[in-house]
Amino acid sequence: MKPSILKLEKLSKTFDKFTAVNQIDIEVGQGEIFGFLGPNGAGKTTTIKMIAGLLQPTAGDLSIHGHPMSKDPSRCRELTGYIPDRPYLYEKLTGSEYLSFIASLYPQSANGTDFLGRSQEYLNYFDIEEWQDNLIESYSHGMRQKLIMTSIFMLEQPLIVVDEPMVGLDPKSARIVKELFKSKASEGKTVFLSTHSMEIAEELCDRISIIAHGSIVASGTVSELKQEQKHASENLEDLFLQLTGAFELQEVIAALRNNQNDNVLNRTL
Amino acid sequence: MIPRLFFPYTRILKNKLFSGSVFNLKTSLISLLGLAICVVLYLVTWRTVAYFHAQNELGIILSMKIFQMAWITIFAMLIFSSMITSVSTLYLSKDNELMVASPAGIDELFNMRLITTFFNTSWMVLLFSIPIFAAFGVVFDSGILYWPLLLAAIPATSFTASAIAVVIIIILVYLFPARRTKDIIFYLTLCFGIFLYLIFRLLRPEDLVNPEKYGQFIEYLSAVSNPAGPWLPAGWTANLLSTYLLDQRIDWLLLALIILTPLIIYFLGELAMMRLFLPGFSKSQESFGGHRSFRRPQPKQYRGWQWVFKKETISFLRDSKEWSQFFMIGALVVVYLYNFKVLPLERTFGTTYVANLIAFGNIGLTGFLAASLAARFVYPSIGAEGGAFYLIRNSPMSMKRFLCYKYIFYLIPFTILTIILIGVSNHFLQIDGPMWWISLVTALIICWTVVALALGFGTIFADYNAENRAASMGPGAVMYLFCAITYTLTILLLGFSPTYRLMRSWLWQHKGLPLFDALIILAWGVGMIVLSLLTVYVIYRRASAALKPR
Repeated sequence: MKPSILKLEKLSKTFDKFTAVNQIDIEVGQGEIFGFLGPNGAGKTTTIKMIAGLLQPTAGDLSIHGHPMSKDPSRCRELTGYIPDRPYLYEKLTGSEYLSFIASLYPQSANGTDFLGRSQEYLNYFDIEEWQDNLIESYSHGMRQKLIMTSIFMLEQPLIVVDEPMVGLDPKSARIVKELFKSKASEGKTVFLSTHSMEIAEELCDRISIIAHGSIVASGTVSELKQEQKHASENLEDLFLQLTGAFELQEVIAALRNNQNDNVLNRTL
Repeated sequence: MIPRLFFPYTRILKNKLFSGSVFNLKTSLISLLGLAICVVLYLVTWRTVAYFHAQNELGIILSMKIFQMAWITIFAMLIFSSMITSVSTLYLSKDNELMVASPAGIDELFNMRLITTFFNTSWMVLLFSIPIFAAFGVVFDSGILYWPLLLAAIPATSFTASAIAVVIIIILVYLFPARRTKDIIFYLTLCFGIFLYLIFRLLRPEDLVNPEKYGQFIEYLSAVSNPAGPWLPAGWTANLLSTYLLDQRIDWLLLALIILTPLIIYFLGELAMMRLFLPGFSKSQESFGGHRSFRRPQPKQYRGWQWVFKKETISFLRDSKEWSQFFMIGALVVVYLYNFKVLPLERTFGTTYVANLIAFGNIGLTGFLAASLAARFVYPSIGAEGGAFYLIRNSPMSMKRFLCYKYIFYLIPFTILTIILIGVSNHFLQIDGPMWWISLVTALIICWTVVALALGFGTIFADYNAENRAASMGPGAVMYLFCAITYTLTILLLGFSPTYRLMRSWLWQHKGLPLFDALIILAWGVGMIVLSLLTVYVIYRRASAALKPR
């Protein structure tokens, strides 16, 4: 096993009587791309917010590079680059002003003015270099997503935590992001991403965990999970559905198909 | 060097104020307007204080008392508004995820949030209180040291108010969820504001210098000589400055208290922030537990207008920021009508003529009130549709029809309010005869037109991205108010002569109206209706055109 970068131990979060995350254990090694999958409301974003230090766990602990979040939150934050599912951008700043602000928040990672060269590189990859001096309010949704990606990639953080990374990206940019994740992993950086896209998980992730109703229901490499569930011939989507509520889905599909058949019958009559 | 967390704010300010490197036209106009307000405040205060000062010893004491009470009131309002602002900036701000997830320290975040809260809540107080207190300095012919004392004490007291508010909020949010805390503080502020407003109006401070009332104020005199609020930081500032104004003597103890208190509260705040912020912030992220569930709607197909009415009503009633404004309007209406009740008609005027003249002027006042309420509620109603407006635009309902439904929806409460204001004030003025009808009909026509103008301008200048209704008021609202006031004044000016002729025959001659006068009144009535219809038609056309796809 590669040295551990992120470790969640019996991590739980409850909101009043509702348990959003229930005693989950995850360990992610250096240079790994780890996929965190689950249906809506399963507890993915809550877990990610705890990793980013935005929510305090109700029980359990998490550590980044061996630093416990409960004792050394500043060090944990220095090591993490976080992209939320709905990131906030200052509308009245220009792209380059925003990047320079992010660099000032992470001075160790920005390393003086080194971030400038790196930011230009990523802006260039994403094809938004010429927009960097325009106000962010004039950016499209995809351009904003690209700017956010640039802000995290330029920092060279050892751990990148991303909630739904491909939302709003065109296929070309999505491909670039995937390649960037792979390249970061090959440099020894760790990527922890949550996604709904089975294709991304299958193509990109070294290991995945599937969470449902706040608990981890499966963990391992994609092939391990398929073997465990005896789904070797099927794709990850079927496996995901099997683990997270195929029974309910089958009922819905059956009802819809019955409806379709009734409609056809009515038309024929 | 500016600390890093301030960077977005300073840069946003620069990007907003300057287009390129030039001080843009909008900024220049706003600066000029601010300067003009400062000058007006200075002149009004100067005149008022000079008047009190010229009375006698009592006048001087009263002017000092007003000085002290004003500053203590401002201080209390500052604490409340800083509390509301700091819940938002500390816990609900959109950039919190970015800031808190970054390695920036909590102490750094505290400094940034405290300073931005201080500037956001106090800049207006600082800007506009200086000319007011400067007027006191000039009238009292203060010594040279008054000015540095003023410039040190006022910002220090404002900062103390913000720091106290931030400490209270950090503790409250540690105990309660942030959104609930914000609601509680908001209601408290509103109640406090209404209380102050009612007390101030119902006490009729203008009577304080009325010689006829002196007999009742012997006890009051001894009370006003005592220093105000000896335990309040604002009281220290007021007492320090008033002592200097009267005796040209510096109370060093008060000065030390004024300077040291903000520093002590700052350190206490930082301590509270380091210990309590993260648990409170974590709690404020939790959206569970605060959900309210509502009765499921009847399975019924609503007609277009029913749906618009229902949506507007429930959106209004479910938004505590909106419906709570009813309290403020209630207080406004009470004070408005109370002013008519206490008019000394018998003593000062004693004639029906003057009562009728006031009733005519009241049409304009009601019109202005309707115009300002429409600016707050009707003007932002199209922009308030926000991102969901595409639903209406894409639906089969035409935009013209949608505007009509909105107009009728807002017309109902405004019509009721106008009838109440005119009816009750006419009752207090003991108006009967033609003036009763003239005032009611004219006020209703003005009300209907200004509501249409508000909706029209609000549509043309709609801001679909504004965070709330109050934030969507821009230059369009100023243009609307200008047009509404011009229209109201035009109607009144054109109507003055015809109404005078009618009332003259009614009050003094008690005989038939001369034909010429009758024709003039008819012409005014028709002219008023035509002008109003034309105004509504033009603004409706422009508003409908603004909603067309381009």
